[in-house]
Amino acid sequence: MLQISKKLRKCALYLSHKCRDGNLQSVFSCLDIVWILYDKIMNWSPEKAQDDDRDFFIISKGQATLALYPVLIEKGYFKMDEVASQIGQFDSRYCIQTDLTKFKGGIENNAGSLGHGLPFAAGIAYANKIKKSPSNVYVLCGDGEFCEGTMWEACIFASAKKLDNLCVIIDDNNSVAAMVDMGDMKKKLEAFNFDVFEVDGHNLSKLEDVFKKAMLLSNEKPKAIIAKTLRGFGSKTMAENDIWFHKAPNEEELELLIKEVESL
Amino acid sequence: MRRAFLKRVAEMIRDEADTTFFTVDIGMWAIRDVLAEFPERCTNVGVYEDGMFSIAAGMASRGLIPTIFGIQPYLIERTLEQIKMDLAYQKLGVNVVGTGAAVDYSKYGYSHYCAEDCHIIKAIPGCEFIAPGSKKQFIQLFNETYRNGHPTFFRISDHPNIEYDPDVEFGKAVVMQEGSKATVIAVSIMLDDVMEVCKDEDVTVLYYTTLEPFDNETLSKYHNNGKILIVEPEFEGSLSYDVIKTFSGKSVQIEEVAFPREIFRNYGTYDEKMQHYGLTAVKVLEKLKRLVDN
Repeated sequence: MLQISKKLRKCALYLSHKCRDGNLQSVFSCLDIVWILYDKIMNWSPEKAQDDDRDFFIISKGQATLALYPVLIEKGYFKMDEVASQIGQFDSRYCIQTDLTKFKGGIENNAGSLGHGLPFAAGIAYANKIKKSPSNVYVLCGDGEFCEGTMWEACIFASAKKLDNLCVIIDDNNSVAAMVDMGDMKKKLEAFNFDVFEVDGHNLSKLEDVFKKAMLLSNEKPKAIIAKTLRGFGSKTMAENDIWFHKAPNEEELELLIKEVESL
Repeated sequence: MRRAFLKRVAEMIRDEADTTFFTVDIGMWAIRDVLAEFPERCTNVGVYEDGMFSIAAGMASRGLIPTIFGIQPYLIERTLEQIKMDLAYQKLGVNVVGTGAAVDYSKYGYSHYCAEDCHIIKAIPGCEFIAPGSKKQFIQLFNETYRNGHPTFFRISDHPNIEYDPDVEFGKAVVMQEGSKATVIAVSIMLDDVMEVCKDEDVTVLYYTTLEPFDNETLSKYHNNGKILIVEPEFEGSLSYDVIKTFSGKSVQIEEVAFPREIFRNYGTYDEKMQHYGLTAVKVLEKLKRLVDN
C-alpha cells in the first residue's frame, strides 16, 4: 500500500477515535477513490473551493462521509488539529455526516440517507449544461445503494439528458451480496446508456488512468466507474470483522489498527 | 388557477434564463410552445417524483430556480424524505406546485386525495406552504416567493373563491372584517363560505393563504379572548398548533370546520364530498354559534 493510502487511513482511524463513532469499513473501502479524485482528477483546490466552474464531489453513500476529512486535510483545506478537536462535539461543523450549510465550500451535499446523492449530482450536472459550465460532477455511490429506486430514476435522467459531465463511481465492495442478487451491474448501466469501466478501486495509478480515460469521452453519455473494493481494506482486523461497519476504535484498538495499516 | 400558473411558467421560462420547469407528465398542452422552444429548461421529465426532487435540489444548488409541477399527493407524500434531506436540510429553493387539492379528484379514490398536505409540510422546518384562494392570489404569491431560496409548496385548487378575492401577501393574513365575539380563520378556498355566514355577524374574519409560516402576529392582534373558529380545506388540526402557540400561556377555545382525519373511501362529486365532510356554510354557522354561545 502506498504511503498516502496509509496516511489517509491512519487519519480516519484517529478521527473516528476522537469522534467515538464512524463507519470505518466503508471509509477504508473508498478512501483511495476519493483521494485520487481530489489529487489527480478534479478541477478543485482549496483556492477554487467556491469557484463556479470547479468540479464537484458528491458523496451519495453517506456512511463513508468520514473519508472526506482525511482527504481535505491532506489537500490543506481543513486543519487536522481543528477537525480532531471538534469532530462530533455539540456545536461542531465536523461530524459523521456533513452539513453543507455550515461550510462555505468544500462540502457539496448532505448525505446520510441513501439514494439522494446520485440524483442530486445529476441535477448539478444538468445545471452545468444549462449554465454552459465546464464543471464535471463525480458522485460516489455504494453497490448496495443501487437497491434504492431513486438511483435508477437518476440513471434515466442522466441518460436522457446526455450528461457526459457526470461520473458515477460505484464503490463495489460487494455489500449487496448480503441483500439480494443484483446481477450484472455493468450490463445494467450499459442498458441505461452509460459508458461503463471497471477498475481495482485500491490501485491509485489504475484509478487515475480510468478516470482520465472516461472523462475524455465527450460523447453525450454519462460515465460509470465500477471500482472493485474491499470493506476495511488496509486493516486485516477490519476487513475480517463486520463489527467495524459501525464501531469506533478505543485507545488499544487504535494502536492495533494503526500498526496493521502501517504493516501493509 | 392551473391555467394561470402554466401561463406564468411560460413567461418565466421565456424571460428568465435561470428558471427551469419540470412537469411530472401533466399540463403539457398548455405550455407546448415553451416545451418545444426551451427543451433544456422546460421538460416533461417522466413519472419519477422522488428522483426529480433530488435533481431539482442539485439544480438549485447551482443557482437555478427550479419549479416542479405534479399531482399533490405524489409531490408531497411520495417524496417526503427528498423534501427533508435535499430541500429543507440543505436549505435549497425549489418551488413545488401541486394540482389536486384535498378531494379535487373526487372520483379517483384515496390515492389521489391529499387533505394531509399542509400537516405534512408543516412538520418539516424551513418549508413554506401556500394555498391561494384564487388565480389572482396564486400569481401574487408565486411572484413574491419563487426566488426566495426556500422550498415552497403551492396547492392549486379547482374550486376557487368567486365572491371574495382580496389582494394577498406572503406570510400575512388579510383582515376581512373586525368584530368582538370570535375570530374566524378562513383558509384559502373556504373564504366565500366563511364570508357568507360572517358578513352580518359581530366576528373578526382573518383570511390565510400562507399556512407556513403562519402569521401569528395578526391573530394575536385580533384574538377576541381566544375564541377561534378555524375553517380549513385540509385535515382538521393542521393549524391548531399555530393557534395554540399564538395564545401561549393563555386559554384558547377552538372550533373547526375541516376534513376529518380518516381514509376517505367514498367517491362522488366534489360537492358531495364537501357536504359529507361538513365543509359548508351551514356547518360554519353551526360551529360559530356554538363557539359564541359557549
